[in-house]
Amino acid sequence: MRVDPSYTANLVGALDQSQSNEQQLTAELSSGVSITSLSQNPVASGENVLLLNSIQQDDSFTQSSNMVTSQLQVADSTLGSVVSQLTQAVSLATSANNGTMNPSDVKSIGNQISGILDEVQSLANTSYQGQYIFAGGQTSTVPFTTSTATSPAVTTYNGDGDLNYLDTPNGQKIQLNVPGSQIFSGVGTNNVFSALNSLVADYTSGTVNTAQAVSDTQALGTALNFVSQQRVVVDNSITQLSAASDAVTSQQTQLTTAQTNLMQADVATVSTQLSLSETQQTALEDVISQLDSQSNSLFSKLQ
Amino acid sequence: MGTISSAFDMISGALNADQSALSIVANNVANANTPGYTAETPNWRQNDPIQINGVQYGDGVTETGATSMRDSVLSARLDQQQQLASASGARLTALDSVQALFTPDSGSSSSTAGDIGNDVTSFFSSFSSLEAQPTNNSLREEVLTSASTLAGDISNAAASLSSQRSALDQEASGVTSQVNSLTSSIAQLNQQIQSTSPNADAGTLEDQRQEDLSQLSQLIGINQVKTENNGLAVTTTSGQLLVSESSSFQLTSGSVNGATHFFVGTTDITSQLSAGGGELGGYLTARDQDIPNALTSLDQLAYGISTSVNQLNNTGSDLTGNTGTAANPLYIFNEPTQVAGSALGMAVTMTDPSQIAAAGAGMGTGDNSNAVAIAALGNESLMGVSNGSTPTGFFSNFVSTLGATVSGVQAENTAQNASVTQLQTQNSALTEVNLNDEAAAMSTLESSYQAASQVFTMLNTLIASALNLGDQTTVA
Repeated sequence: MRVDPSYTANLVGALDQSQSNEQQLTAELSSGVSITSLSQNPVASGENVLLLNSIQQDDSFTQSSNMVTSQLQVADSTLGSVVSQLTQAVSLATSANNGTMNPSDVKSIGNQISGILDEVQSLANTSYQGQYIFAGGQTSTVPFTTSTATSPAVTTYNGDGDLNYLDTPNGQKIQLNVPGSQIFSGVGTNNVFSALNSLVADYTSGTVNTAQAVSDTQALGTALNFVSQQRVVVDNSITQLSAASDAVTSQQTQLTTAQTNLMQADVATVSTQLSLSETQQTALEDVISQLDSQSNSLFSKLQ
Repeated sequence: MGTISSAFDMISGALNADQSALSIVANNVANANTPGYTAETPNWRQNDPIQINGVQYGDGVTETGATSMRDSVLSARLDQQQQLASASGARLTALDSVQALFTPDSGSSSSTAGDIGNDVTSFFSSFSSLEAQPTNNSLREEVLTSASTLAGDISNAAASLSSQRSALDQEASGVTSQVNSLTSSIAQLNQQIQSTSPNADAGTLEDQRQEDLSQLSQLIGINQVKTENNGLAVTTTSGQLLVSESSSFQLTSGSVNGATHFFVGTTDITSQLSAGGGELGGYLTARDQDIPNALTSLDQLAYGISTSVNQLNNTGSDLTGNTGTAANPLYIFNEPTQVAGSALGMAVTMTDPSQIAAAGAGMGTGDNSNAVAIAALGNESLMGVSNGSTPTGFFSNFVSTLGATVSGVQAENTAQNASVTQLQTQNSALTEVNLNDEAAAMSTLESSYQAASQVFTMLNTLIASALNLGDQTTVA
């Protein structure tokens, strides 16, 4: 049987192969990444793009959620102050309506309620980072202005009924704002400002039309309940955000684990492969040096 | 009856034959490392016996020259496999540079730069962030920054692909002159072989022709057809004649629509060469198929994102309450006119972040409905793509397909190289000079030469004593 006399060339080819294999394995160990080019694992490379996309979306949502949570918390505490102011106004009005006060006390109550009106209006005009939070979409316009031309004075809403939502990565929509019209100047008896303006008008003269004042006080009470209800909407949003944020964070952890498993090199496996490759290389080198030595040619035996 | 002088003839013929055989061995050893050299073996022929008085006597041996140990079917098979392996090798080299532009992101923060998949996500995420505070100027700036990163990375990738394509074009056109010098050399050798050795193996001339053929096989895909008088015709794999006996047909190249095309005479054989094999086939496949495919995908991505985002931003209402008009459109990216070239031309034209239309048309500036709509584009099917994948899904699909192509060519190349090695081993076993065989032959010839000279000496002594008729001194 004839053999290929240039077998050493083939062995050197095998040696090159084993060296390039070692290079690849060393690169994997030093970078910690098992997939350094698309062709190494096309499916995993594609999957990796999708996983990174989801992870980044989750990350971005967590940041957005922190931003809007503080805004919603400002809205919540503002509405808390409004509720306590209104509660005080109701109790002042109730005491003025029981008919035991002299006109100057009634006037002073009128002034106090007028003060509360100013306070509530300024609360309704609260801004967060320069944007009015109860103005619907018109966040650069002062939402509530009062005209004292008539008696009772008239407080007008300049915003709109626009609702903003934040989309979570899982497709949930979370309400981000409650327009001022819905809280303070709802239809019928749910109008905070008209109730307050009416009460101020009722008490400024010192003489009380009890029936009118009682009815206005009741209207304020109803409006107060309505504000509390709207505050629940804000609280719900905060709860939803926190729940969504928790869900997204745990999802992100899972995705990151999946992505790490997909892309990171398994040190134990790579080390074993490297050690095998090194053994093979040593063996090849030995074989080459044995075969290549002079004593292996028949010519060296000829006399 | 045989005579002493006929024995002299026979033995001196044997000494001559041994000498010629030894010189063949010496030539083999001398050319042991010459590329393309085919080991030669001496031809021994028993001389015709002579008949004297009805008795047959042998008449010695003649050495009739060397025969090259060649298997033309095997070497043609090797050439063919070499063409396939060179094609996939050249294509693989080109594809490796292509895939290097889209190295997978390991997920650590240091590796995120330049990854188009991440850029797409960041861009749409910047609109998600804008949902939280639609009037926030730094968030608006962030949108423009991520848009420029996305546009920059896509157009850079497209520019790199284009320059890789023109580099391949140059390499391909460089092959022409090598092919031409090889085909004219083959034609010349054909002529020499046909005139010197029309009926038998032409030895070194055929070695040279075979070497030229295997070099040509590295470059382009060819078919070899034996013609009469030991000539050879060479055609491309699709049948275009390159060498016919003693004439060769030059391959010329010229620019057609910005790409180098190849001609024999006036026939454009570019697509035949592309499918034929050899380095040129690999270059052309990468130039005309793989890189354009990658560019088309990037174009689709760039076109889909640019047009859909521009369209929505244009219909929304910006921070000053304006909506885009025909004269002053609110475009974030420069609006592509067609899919082709969109990737290369992708750029951000908007400079003022307040022009980002986060609010719906006619809504207050605090509205975020348009930002929600644009952010949602990231999870909707990419405009202009029929399979309904999202921009990220489209990119993911693109990298998987590219990776699969590269890995397929890699596997193909490995298999073809293994097969080339196998054929080469078979061929080398037959044609290469085996020094052990030569040493053995040398040793055998040496013994037979020594034996023949001993016989000669004895015959000499014998004939001397015959001439002296028993007297030992007259003739020595």
